[in-house]
Amino acid sequence: MKRRVSIPTLLFFNQFEIMMLKLNPIVIYELVVTIFLAFWFLATILCQFKETKISSFIRYKIDYFNLIPLWTFFAPHPGKRDYHLLYRDKITDIDYSDWQEMEITEERTIWSWLWNPEKRDKKILSDVVQSLVSSIPSYREKAGSLNLLMFSMPYIIVLHAVSQYKKQSQNCYRQFMLAESSGYQKETAPSLILLSVFHQI
Amino acid sequence: MILLNDISQTVLIILSIGLLISTLEYLKKVQIFSPNGLLSWNVMQLKWSKQNEKSFFKPIFKLFSAPGLAALFIIRCLLIIGLLFFPLQSTTGWVLISLLGVSLLTASLVTYYGSDGSDQMSMLIIITLILCNLPAFTTGKLRDIGIWFIGLQACLSYTVAGIAKLVSAEWRSGTAIKDVFSTKTYGSKKASLLLQKYPSANRFLCWNVIVMETIFPLCLILPWQYAIVFLIWGFIFHFFTALIMGLNSFFWAFMATYPAIYFINHQMPWHLF
Repeated sequence: MKRRVSIPTLLFFNQFEIMMLKLNPIVIYELVVTIFLAFWFLATILCQFKETKISSFIRYKIDYFNLIPLWTFFAPHPGKRDYHLLYRDKITDIDYSDWQEMEITEERTIWSWLWNPEKRDKKILSDVVQSLVSSIPSYREKAGSLNLLMFSMPYIIVLHAVSQYKKQSQNCYRQFMLAESSGYQKETAPSLILLSVFHQI
Repeated sequence: MILLNDISQTVLIILSIGLLISTLEYLKKVQIFSPNGLLSWNVMQLKWSKQNEKSFFKPIFKLFSAPGLAALFIIRCLLIIGLLFFPLQSTTGWVLISLLGVSLLTASLVTYYGSDGSDQMSMLIIITLILCNLPAFTTGKLRDIGIWFIGLQACLSYTVAGIAKLVSAEWRSGTAIKDVFSTKTYGSKKASLLLQKYPSANRFLCWNVIVMETIFPLCLILPWQYAIVFLIWGFIFHFFTALIMGLNSFFWAFMATYPAIYFINHQMPWHLF
């Protein structure tokens, strides 16, 4: 027995056939790239402002190359403090060396608007310190102490950075301190953010 | 030699200036990747703790020493210079920009800390240009889509930055710029003292940035004689952030998106008549 095919169905298959004929590799490529860019744009929108489950998934599970930007420059909280990284060595059980400061911030030259290689060191340390500072409350809340913070990436980077400076002795124990100050304004006193334990380096 | 008669090519040339400066800056500071440097691979590799990620990226991990990255940066400089001689639409031009994209993606695995919004905008532009200019596969329509994507991302960046400032009490009260300028990291002693002396200038600057950033996408739809006000504002804004805050790479990365904004604006219906 023959099945009757309705006119709309015929029209649909006709359209589908025409579409399939049009789908040459160039059209397929155009379609794929357009969809990819649309998803990239959508992912960028989703990853702004509040951290959600979707944004965390995109940022930490998919975005290996840091391709999803966060466009909230200097907002909502503008960076209004300078960070300071200091270290000292244990000479004996009761004797310590003076605190030495690692140069993170330095005055820019008149050519910095064009040529500013120093910004890289400053940005790296600023990112690392900010990452460390922002993770302190969660470590306090979850673990009750800051012991686990020692295994975090930013802590290890800071420790590695301070451990590169000249040692007082071969078997040296070094401690570092993170502090913050209000830069050129002298309205508020510098304050302590984190004091590490002594590490053998 | 290439000509600036094509929007994609103009975007690429402006971006290339910034990328060349940025790459030479990395070359000058390449010791940060040495074993005792800030981004030593001995430490940075700890980020790749999962075994599947490690095995996937392992072949390029060998590059992440100071000499390896120095070689990568030198090659990148040569690629950028090469792009001055070969148009983006030519096969050689496309191969050069693709290799440039690969070098940017590779380095991004080790510059996890220290990269900024200008690096992300640069990568975004380069990848878009690679995808939308593949020889034998690209069409005029796809190139236009790429330019639209770059222009829309630029507008999104300004609007997001504007809204984030609008919801911030520090920005609304007009103290944020003075506070940022008073840091040694992003500020300047002279600018800080000047803003302390004139609080009204501080308030004006804060609100100027909030309003202009938030409504920046209007430049896509307004008639060109009004839209250009936003681009001139953007030029001045980025020039002064480079001058006062040392954010030189942002200037080139964002200026590179302006030809795309010009293109979108001129595709609006009222420009067709």
